[in-house]
Amino acid sequence: MILRRIAAILFLPVMLGFGSGVYLYLGTLKSKVVQERPVLPTVTKPKFVLPGTMYVVQDGRMFKLNAGSFTEIGPAGDWSQPTLTPDHTRLIAVSRGVEFSDLYLLDLDGHVVKRITKNDSRVLEYNHWALYPRVSPDGANLVYSYDSPKLTKYVEEGVDLSVWSMPLNGAQYQARRWTDPYWYTGGDVSPIPLAGGGILFVRHSIDPSTVVHSQIYYQARALALAKPLTSDTEDCSEPALSPDGTQLAMICSRGKQTTALEIAPFNGTVLGPARVLMEGGLYGSPVWSPDGKALAYYAPTGLTGHFQLWYLPLPVAATPSATTSPSPSTSAHASPIVAPTPTPAPAPVQVTEGVDLSATSPPVWY
Amino acid sequence: MAGQVPTRRRRASRLHPARIAALTLFCLILSGTAGAAAYFFPVVVAGVGQTGQTVVVPPSRSPGVAATPTPSAAPGSPFTVLLLGSDDDGKNKSPLTQSMILVRVEPATKHVTMLSIPRDLWVPLSVGGYAKIDAAYAYGGAAAAIATVERNFHVHIDEYAWVGLKGLIKLVDRLGGVDLVVTNPVLDDQYPDDINSGFLYGYRRVAVLPGPQHLDGSRALQYVRSRHNDINGDFGRSARQQEVLLAIKAKASTLNAADLPDIVDTLKGNFTTSMGLDRVRSLLSVATAFDIANVKQIVLYVPTYTSYGNGPAYGGASVVVPHWAQILAVTRENFP
Repeated sequence: MILRRIAAILFLPVMLGFGSGVYLYLGTLKSKVVQERPVLPTVTKPKFVLPGTMYVVQDGRMFKLNAGSFTEIGPAGDWSQPTLTPDHTRLIAVSRGVEFSDLYLLDLDGHVVKRITKNDSRVLEYNHWALYPRVSPDGANLVYSYDSPKLTKYVEEGVDLSVWSMPLNGAQYQARRWTDPYWYTGGDVSPIPLAGGGILFVRHSIDPSTVVHSQIYYQARALALAKPLTSDTEDCSEPALSPDGTQLAMICSRGKQTTALEIAPFNGTVLGPARVLMEGGLYGSPVWSPDGKALAYYAPTGLTGHFQLWYLPLPVAATPSATTSPSPSTSAHASPIVAPTPTPAPAPVQVTEGVDLSATSPPVWY
Repeated sequence: MAGQVPTRRRRASRLHPARIAALTLFCLILSGTAGAAAYFFPVVVAGVGQTGQTVVVPPSRSPGVAATPTPSAAPGSPFTVLLLGSDDDGKNKSPLTQSMILVRVEPATKHVTMLSIPRDLWVPLSVGGYAKIDAAYAYGGAAAAIATVERNFHVHIDEYAWVGLKGLIKLVDRLGGVDLVVTNPVLDDQYPDDINSGFLYGYRRVAVLPGPQHLDGSRALQYVRSRHNDINGDFGRSARQQEVLLAIKAKASTLNAADLPDIVDTLKGNFTTSMGLDRVRSLLSVATAFDIANVKQIVLYVPTYTSYGNGPAYGGASVVVPHWAQILAVTRENFP
């Protein structure tokens, strides 16, 4: 009798342990996808060593990827969208505050050389966003998207981005507006200054059925008529010009919640037929390799949604000439591009793992 | 003495190894069940407090308009859910619904149809009088919102679910963020600064940049709530709300039963529904299985389905006037 009681008492901790074990075991069955938290690039090693040097952004922090290792650069803050000067001696990046953003000139190690814009104000309406900086090929001008002018009290406060240009070594008051966006759409983004003096940029439009379109436009001069290079149904954005200026990489969504990575020949004013390289995923922020023979882009792995860096060697097949495409119409609803040509799928290589790179900050690669 | 022997035998037989094994197994099952019960206790509490909410929808007083209460859909058959979203920041004692989305789920075919109802739609309310449809919830809670939608749109609603703004933020964060192709820059100089803010009527500037990206809860809320810089105003916002809903669905498909206590804890106080746990479970299984290509999204945009109106006829308010012939054709087709 006593033995049984002792046994029963001794068994109580076993029951308690087993019950706790079941509780803890159920906890381990939680979705790994939801629980996965990204790490900083500096605690990872790239799975593939890229040639040259690349700058990427994660969670407002800038990182330099060189010779297979990451180094964090720049002061603390919310940094994004770095870009290089053509001589590869300086960086320009966006520093974002709570209700504004400014452009800064940095050295290649991220030390601030100069604050280029000053967009913060105590009056809420006088704050501005300066985004998507790019330097012209001759290094003279800085083009960027800027939310000015604002439409005041029409129906609602209109805040749309226009493309502006200012001397790189000048002051903000010298800035000049280049584009006239469709109002109440968010406006024009991702400008690329061209060697010929014009710009490429992405313009947004919204039709009455609430469908939003994005198109890549070419514009020769400030406030001149802009010509669409892609159709409204393709929904192309995030243009990236190859180092020799003859090809354009872009992201097209065709009204879906998935995207395709495409490239098309470009002769300075006309875009040729596009080739789809990747599709059906969330591909974004393409950038050309320094030799123009490969692309890098961001895409998530699995369902975590954490964007990783991918490397994509380009197929060696001859690229159709841009002049073979029909002339682009000035109508925003025309379709100047012929249907994308299917191409044998090149094999992308995953470069990073476990990080969560900022998909709205395209990498810089030189 | 003679009687002691059988007693010993009986005791000895109770200590038989098979009995000990059975007893041990029973105790382990008992303790394991207790462990599992402790793990799912928050779900049970939520099941009592937040799911299975009973709503009494008053019968229609308008001739020619379908009156509700038909029995709820049988398990496995198509059902319609009214999703309600509103600020729960204390600005209004009875919150307005900033978002009303009718969702029809067809478990057999894995088809889903979503119809966003403009918050400013000028309709007769089930509680009496005309007003913007977002006031129905404020005047009469979920029952009035359901009755108003049923009578005006001639649909039968089986269930409803209400989520507050903070609930949406927490849910998206708990899911580890959502993945979206943001279609255009969403900039707003008059975005309400009422989440975790001491002053509920302040504004702030927000900017959600375009492109494929991973959004956390705060950014996702900015994307679905901003409307001042959208040429289609509330209609544009409705389309974005549907995008985020689908992104949440995609992420939720990675969940399993072990995640339920965390989700319940996340939504505590920010979520109520008439759905029982069995219906929630079947909804989750549909979410896991259905293809985004099988989702039909409808927004009642101007000028096809609605038009803008203001002036004394609408109590001096700016409203959205329904074109019922066009709207009812859509609801007849998609919400039979």
